[in-house]
Amino acid sequence: MPFVAATRSLGRAGLFSLSVLRASKPTADFFAELIREIYKIGARSLPIIAVGGAFVGLSVTLLGYRALETYGAANQISALVGLGLYRELAPVLTALLFVGRAGSSIAAELGLMRATDQITALGLMAIDPVAKAVAPRFWAAVICVPLLTAFFCSLGITASYFEAVHVIGIDAGTFWQVLRDAVDYRHDFIVAFQKAAVFGGTAALVACYVGYHAEPTIEGTSVATTRAVVNASLLVLMFNFVLSALLFR
Amino acid sequence: MPVATPTQDIAVRLSDVRLDRGARTVLSEIDLDVPRGSITAVLGPSGSGKSTLLAALTGELVPAAGTVEVFGQPVPQRQRALLELRKGIGVLLQGNGLLTDLTAAENVALPLRTHTKLPRPVIERLVAMKLHAVGLRTAGGLYPRELSGGMARRVALARALALDPPLMVYDEPLTGLDPIASGVIMSLIARLNASLGLTSVIVTHHVHETLPVADRAIVIANGKIVFSGTPSELEATSDPLVLQFLRGEPDGPIAFDTAERSREPA
Amino acid sequence: MTTRGPRLEFAVGAFLLLALASLLVLAIASTNGKFGFGGDTYELTARFTNIGPLRPMAPVKIGGVTIGRVGEITLDPVRLDSVVTLDIDNRYQDLSIDTSAGILTNGLLGESYIGLQPGGDLESLKPGEEIAFTTPAVDIIQMVGKYMFSGGGDNAAAAPADAGDAAPQSPSPTEPPQP
Repeated sequence: MPFVAATRSLGRAGLFSLSVLRASKPTADFFAELIREIYKIGARSLPIIAVGGAFVGLSVTLLGYRALETYGAANQISALVGLGLYRELAPVLTALLFVGRAGSSIAAELGLMRATDQITALGLMAIDPVAKAVAPRFWAAVICVPLLTAFFCSLGITASYFEAVHVIGIDAGTFWQVLRDAVDYRHDFIVAFQKAAVFGGTAALVACYVGYHAEPTIEGTSVATTRAVVNASLLVLMFNFVLSALLFR
Repeated sequence: MPVATPTQDIAVRLSDVRLDRGARTVLSEIDLDVPRGSITAVLGPSGSGKSTLLAALTGELVPAAGTVEVFGQPVPQRQRALLELRKGIGVLLQGNGLLTDLTAAENVALPLRTHTKLPRPVIERLVAMKLHAVGLRTAGGLYPRELSGGMARRVALARALALDPPLMVYDEPLTGLDPIASGVIMSLIARLNASLGLTSVIVTHHVHETLPVADRAIVIANGKIVFSGTPSELEATSDPLVLQFLRGEPDGPIAFDTAERSREPA
Repeated sequence: MTTRGPRLEFAVGAFLLLALASLLVLAIASTNGKFGFGGDTYELTARFTNIGPLRPMAPVKIGGVTIGRVGEITLDPVRLDSVVTLDIDNRYQDLSIDTSAGILTNGLLGESYIGLQPGGDLESLKPGEEIAFTTPAVDIIQMVGKYMFSGGGDNAAAAPADAGDAAPQSPSPTEPPQP
């Protein structure tokens, strides 16, 4: 029955996640791997995040200006952009871009490691493959996604500033003042990064699980990559709703 | 059949072992003694279950019936004991299994760094020694993607030998190698076996390269051992199945027209 | 994909530094700077018969300057009026006992906030005490309706007194709603 199979699948994924957490020991080797992974999935995702953030900032500013102008509230544009970015757009879009770029590469790498017997070799060398290959990638994602979200926000707000002040003609002082009044440090700013950390961990667990358990063939690797992106994206959107419902009053 | 030898001299003993993969029985009634210090070749057609036999040795597969003993101890199932066992078995896999993010030297150093507390200079010397033993002293700084097939295989061999395990298992070591590289690998296997006092089990279908080096040979077909003896006995056999395999004849007991097989559930 | 040691570490370090710097700048430049935790504020309570659109986290202002935030809003099950908790910044101590609180609106479409009008008493409100003088929220639509259907200007004085769902229980100062 598909329902039973799905539940078992979920259980396997949950157990896998537990084993990833259990296998995370802070040895020198672990940190070396962690740094390497932060570079691969964090630093190298920077361009796409930065460009994405800038364009989202520009789009929302443009769209928001049209809407607010009708009520004579064009001055509030920075509040719209700031709150929109922090509450929803930055964590979700950063996570989705991350899933597309880094999630797929994590799944592909692990699938490839499975197909070229690297994971089997580690097991036969009495080295826990989850500790060596999976845990560093998981923690790298949990660390990187909030940082990437910060980049997204800064690019978004900066782009919005240029659009609003230099193109549309809002006063610069008003822009910053309204923004600062509207965005609460604890309830908007911090929540954005809490969400981002959850999304990063989720994306990483999905990508790692799917890649690690891929069929050890070339076809298996490509199937795994696709599944990782689809499932991780869906989970991010689902958890976003849950978190927003819980965290925003 | 070999004369019963005392247990200390037997590196690996399989007694009436049956190995299943899921619902399918791959091997059954397997009795095998591997004497210490010998090189045993496990031969057979593709898909006959040779790699499954290896999986039983390393503890990846638990036998459905019978016992598998390595150095007198049954292969454990509990995690910690199994890890200890695996430190004493060096495995050379078909795909090499070299970690792509690490250099050749770092790959060889991996088991040393994980399982011993030796200081870094000592580990570096050991790695240099292992690489020198396989003829790759100058290749330590290269990444696996920069190595040729033969060189990568040799690095994997050096890594398998890193902890000086008493038992070495080779899974199709000559796959994808040109004649010269094959010759290098086989001569390395023989030399290291002799000089380090290892016991080696080679799973392969490259009969003619392996027999000159092996002390004993077994042939697996149709889920059973169909021959067990010395290489000279193997070449003198009259068993039609073994003969077909040795001579590479397209038709014989293993028919050219494949028999119809019912689709197995995934 | 693979990078040699020192360059890799530099790249990662630079990435982390940049990210932390941007976090810092964002936190300071784009938020309201309320980094403080519970210790920076003290509580006062106020009861209203009608809180209107007031929500938690709404500002509490004196003369237009924000001095705190609305914490909790609950309904007293016995007296059936709302109890609003105000988190006042510690810098603004010694609000006099006869301070009054009203629920005001920021412009025509803006958010609701609590405006405090200082009194003149020498005694001050201690943390946890209740503000005695409160004005409930004004329902603009009802007020406009009353204006329109009660014949215009003569009844203008009567209209503010009728505003709200019930007659105010506490003595209400008759100042016009002002941001």
